[in-house]
Amino acid sequence: MGGPEMAPHTPQRSEAPRQRRGAPRYPYRLLPLWFFLVTLALWQLASRFEHPDFILSPVEIASHFIEALRSGELLPHVGASLVRSLPGFVIGSLVGVVLGLMAGIARSLDQLLSPVVFLTYPVPKIVFLPIVMLWVGIGDVSKILIIALACFYPCFINAYYGARGTPTLMVWTSLNMGARRSQIFRKVVVPSALPLVFAGLRVSLALSFILLFSTEMINARSGLGFLIRQSESSLRFDLMYVAIVAVAMLGHASDQLLLLVRRHVLAWQEATSR
Amino acid sequence: MSVHQPLLASAFRRLALLAVGVLVWELVARSGMFSPIIVPSVTRIGYQFWLLAIRPESLMEASYSVSRGLSGFALAAVVGIALGVLMGRSALAAACLGQLFSGTYPIPKIAFFPIFIYLFGIGSLSKVLLIFLECLYPIVVTTHAGSRAVNRVLLWSAANMGASRARILWRVVVPAAAPFIFAGLRIALPIAMIVVIITEMISSADGLGYLVMYSLASFKTDRMLAVVVAIALLGVVLDWLIVCLRDRLVFWERLDSYYAE
Repeated sequence: MGGPEMAPHTPQRSEAPRQRRGAPRYPYRLLPLWFFLVTLALWQLASRFEHPDFILSPVEIASHFIEALRSGELLPHVGASLVRSLPGFVIGSLVGVVLGLMAGIARSLDQLLSPVVFLTYPVPKIVFLPIVMLWVGIGDVSKILIIALACFYPCFINAYYGARGTPTLMVWTSLNMGARRSQIFRKVVVPSALPLVFAGLRVSLALSFILLFSTEMINARSGLGFLIRQSESSLRFDLMYVAIVAVAMLGHASDQLLLLVRRHVLAWQEATSR
Repeated sequence: MSVHQPLLASAFRRLALLAVGVLVWELVARSGMFSPIIVPSVTRIGYQFWLLAIRPESLMEASYSVSRGLSGFALAAVVGIALGVLMGRSALAAACLGQLFSGTYPIPKIAFFPIFIYLFGIGSLSKVLLIFLECLYPIVVTTHAGSRAVNRVLLWSAANMGASRARILWRVVVPAAAPFIFAGLRIALPIAMIVVIITEMISSADGLGYLVMYSLASFKTDRMLAVVVAIALLGVVLDWLIVCLRDRLVFWERLDSYYAE
């Protein structure tokens, strides 16, 4: 699962010679950047005309952003959000990956866990927020638990299929060379499951942000989701946009971080697939 | 699952964890350790679920949620499949849109909900559009991958037999990418349900998400849990429907397990 990677399909340098006459050498490389810049410029231009209060121009948003960073209106909320999302993501994905790998190799655990996991997978986990709130209170713990629950599923499913997809030949070979069960697990099953595990982690990371902001929008006294909702209802659109930009940057940065870790850990895979 | 086991034993094992969970819940609820508001018994939840299922008002709430979810999902499916196929078959489109989608993928679109409310009103439209936006990503990405992976020999032979570009797209590329497309649809459908429920919980006066928050606010936790069960069942049923549709349309490639790769 997790879908194939979202790698942009940019033409490789080695393919360059086979091109139509007159076409530039690297035609599409800078196109996305131009696309982005042109959109911003059009937005800025359009904002000179009559427009409702709730639409700000990019320049205004940028200046408000710097202002909010200076005045300390933003950073405490970023901290509060991270305190909720990081533990939730780490707990949920860790449990998911470990149980998924185990279920992938042990039949008894597979039969016990997989039916329940696959049955409850399409259930939107956010509906459990009210009941978890009743049990552990309205504070951070309920949000962390819900985020962990949501992050568990993609990690479990991907680790499960990753472990099950281990080539049997490799297991036989290592058995033949006298590897113990624990060695096979560490040196054969885990590495061959890693690409799928990372795909699962990436889905979980995106999910953890969705769950974070929705739990914060439903009830919280701090955090970026709360900031968006509060500034919206008090008609402070500048702060609302600042919070939204912060959300976007946070999501993007954490995704890039995960991809960086993957490039590091899966260096062997990148090398062979090229 | 193993074929050597007797059917009954395997069915029992499959549901064992669920049955134990329900049993433990009922025992805890009956033991009197917690107030019935905190842990309502299974029988009371079941009774409330029955009420929910026979009352036309509550069925109306469910139909609001389902129609919002499905219209956003359908919109995303149509646009997403078109964009994905386009990106798979045109390098220019892939260069422009691929970067756009991979750049904005990790941004939680739910953060834009307040702006959507201002732009499109507090009714169904803002919710449907948010669902559309969230569902678009997995569908585009999987369709893109699927239509890039089409066997070249098939394309060549179709072109050789004089098929036009449009005909090749419709008769070769789309069917060849269909397993991928359905994998994307199956990822997107639960997302649609999540976003429906979230947006209804945040701002709405109807729908199942609203019913959950309303029951909680009026301390009817048995009713709230009955709605939660209903939402869960809805998710499972919709997923099952899409698997049925997939098995019917992509008949040449069976799912070997419940979960699609």
